[in-house]
Amino acid sequence: MTVNYATAAIDKTSVMRGLVSTQRVPLGSEVYNRLLETLYDEAAALDERRFDDWVAYLEQDLVYTAPLRLTRNGPNKDRDVVRTMKHFDENHASILMRTGRLSKSAWAEDPPSRTRRFVTNVRIAQCDTAGEYEVVSYLYVERSRFDNPENESITAERRDVWRLVDGAYKLAVREIIVDQSTLGMSNFAIFL
Amino acid sequence: MLHKAGLTLSDGTTLDDLINRDMNEVSLRVMNDKELYELEMERVFARTWLLLGHESEIPKPGDYVMRDMAEDNVIVSRARDGDVHVMLNVCPHRGMKVCTAEAGNAAAHRCIYHGWAFRSDGSFIGAPIEKEQMHGNKHSKDELGLKKARVHLYGGLIFATWSKDLSFEDYLGDAKFYLDQLFCRTDNGLEMLGPPQRFVLPCNWKIPGEQSGSDGFHTLTLHRSLMEGGIMGGTAESIYDTAPGMYGVDISVPQGHTLRCLEAAQTFKMFADISFEGKTTEERLNLLTPPGVTKDMIPQLFKNLSEAQVNQLATIPPQVGGMFPNILIAFIFAPRMDGGASGALSLHTYVPRGPDKVEFINFIFAEKDAPEDVKRDMLQNAIWSTGTSGTIEQDDADTWPQIMRNSRGHMSKTMTLKYQALHGHERPEGWVGGGDLYPGFTKDDTQWAWWSAYYDLMAEA
Repeated sequence: MTVNYATAAIDKTSVMRGLVSTQRVPLGSEVYNRLLETLYDEAAALDERRFDDWVAYLEQDLVYTAPLRLTRNGPNKDRDVVRTMKHFDENHASILMRTGRLSKSAWAEDPPSRTRRFVTNVRIAQCDTAGEYEVVSYLYVERSRFDNPENESITAERRDVWRLVDGAYKLAVREIIVDQSTLGMSNFAIFL
Repeated sequence: MLHKAGLTLSDGTTLDDLINRDMNEVSLRVMNDKELYELEMERVFARTWLLLGHESEIPKPGDYVMRDMAEDNVIVSRARDGDVHVMLNVCPHRGMKVCTAEAGNAAAHRCIYHGWAFRSDGSFIGAPIEKEQMHGNKHSKDELGLKKARVHLYGGLIFATWSKDLSFEDYLGDAKFYLDQLFCRTDNGLEMLGPPQRFVLPCNWKIPGEQSGSDGFHTLTLHRSLMEGGIMGGTAESIYDTAPGMYGVDISVPQGHTLRCLEAAQTFKMFADISFEGKTTEERLNLLTPPGVTKDMIPQLFKNLSEAQVNQLATIPPQVGGMFPNILIAFIFAPRMDGGASGALSLHTYVPRGPDKVEFINFIFAEKDAPEDVKRDMLQNAIWSTGTSGTIEQDDADTWPQIMRNSRGHMSKTMTLKYQALHGHERPEGWVGGGDLYPGFTKDDTQWAWWSAYYDLMAEA
């Protein structure tokens, strides 16, 4: 079904809202600490361009998307996450296509950007499926390109589902909700 | 000062100094010149037709989207009578935007500053406290509507212009024969799959603009990763021997529109073994449907297009190209990693945001009557290849700002862009469509045609 985003109501999921589950995992608990550590390790793998290490975090059934934001007003002013169009629309295979490309002639990242991913405001709750956790985080990325003294940056909220598999947490779902409707970053040749 | 006839910048540089038509060279300075930029706003962007969106975005009365005609912000709106209107988003009262959302539905647009209100066709309703006549007595209400642009719908695509006399037919010229094959081929036409991706790049609009004049050659080098991935007809080792995607028929028209027509076998490896030899048009279409078209739409092609148009679409379809001044067309075969091939239909506009910035707008389409799973597939194809994260266009977006940076250097800006590998017009046997034709290896002819169209508009005071 195509949604007419120009006209009136979009589904409730387009309202900007983070954590859904009410079964909160408290700050400082063992599960919270391990998941937070995983987010930090994942950010380090991407910043250090260790893509094989990053891919190892990804589940085979991965759904990795980045919907559009749209400036809206009046009765729709809070319904500004548009999922009919996306910046990323990925699965496990397409992520492998992208990381594989980065090892060859991907000029957009050769020479590579220097990136810092700051992950904060982490909130965690249990999903209905045992061993799955809803992890909502804020992401702030600074990206230094060539010898340009001005960084490009992007801010987003990430809504993830991490799954406990053989004692390690793996990423099953990531939705990256960027804050800009018009991106100031010149491309998404980096992962968020 | 600027002369009325021709173009001379304040330091005495003429348009002929910048664009050398004997040598087919363009000074890099054109990419970074404030004076030239101001003239482009007047002589290019206020004079030609500009693409703003598609009518499928605004199906109901009152639906609107906010877009830009160069640096002029406009409301694209469907009025109560069902017609599409384009009007300047500038309140005639004190210059505020009367619409502040990127999309929505409104029976009337009321300026939040002092409350002047306008219908969805741009006409003035009135100011608050009607008895006090807050719109004054110097202008009648008829004169106080939002400033309107002329609108033309072509295959549902919404074009608008500030020109009073340029007809859309004259703007299209002989490109219509080819563009119909992309935009006007099915009963219910195209549908935009969602709002466009938007992002801003630090470069002049003409850097992506001249590339949209069908620069085929850069694909081999800048988009080398396409060959390395093995989906095109070649490998990393054989790129320059096999030159996949380089041989076809390039087309330009004097209006600056250009297209590259390519046989499927010339582009992607998976199509290389399909033999069209001795097959009828219908058989060929069934063997390999054009990008975005499904088999059950084939009878519609015969209904909506001429025999010659369908025959071309079935043999050597236009796949990439551009419409002057700032539209890129990518209606491409796009094999999926999982073996399917539904194609990707995408249009871009490169909207000026000052001499050193451009907004890249990526509109993604499918045929309205395509099944939902095909639309889903095509959306994903287009996102993987084009726009913000597209693995093809990431590399373009990283290259253009570096050309821009070079255009600032005192010596660098005296360098020229060279379009000297020219084929010259040659009509292939049996070719039906018009325009200037360049069969064989893709060369600089189409991009030079883009600059010629630019020259013609800029030279006219």
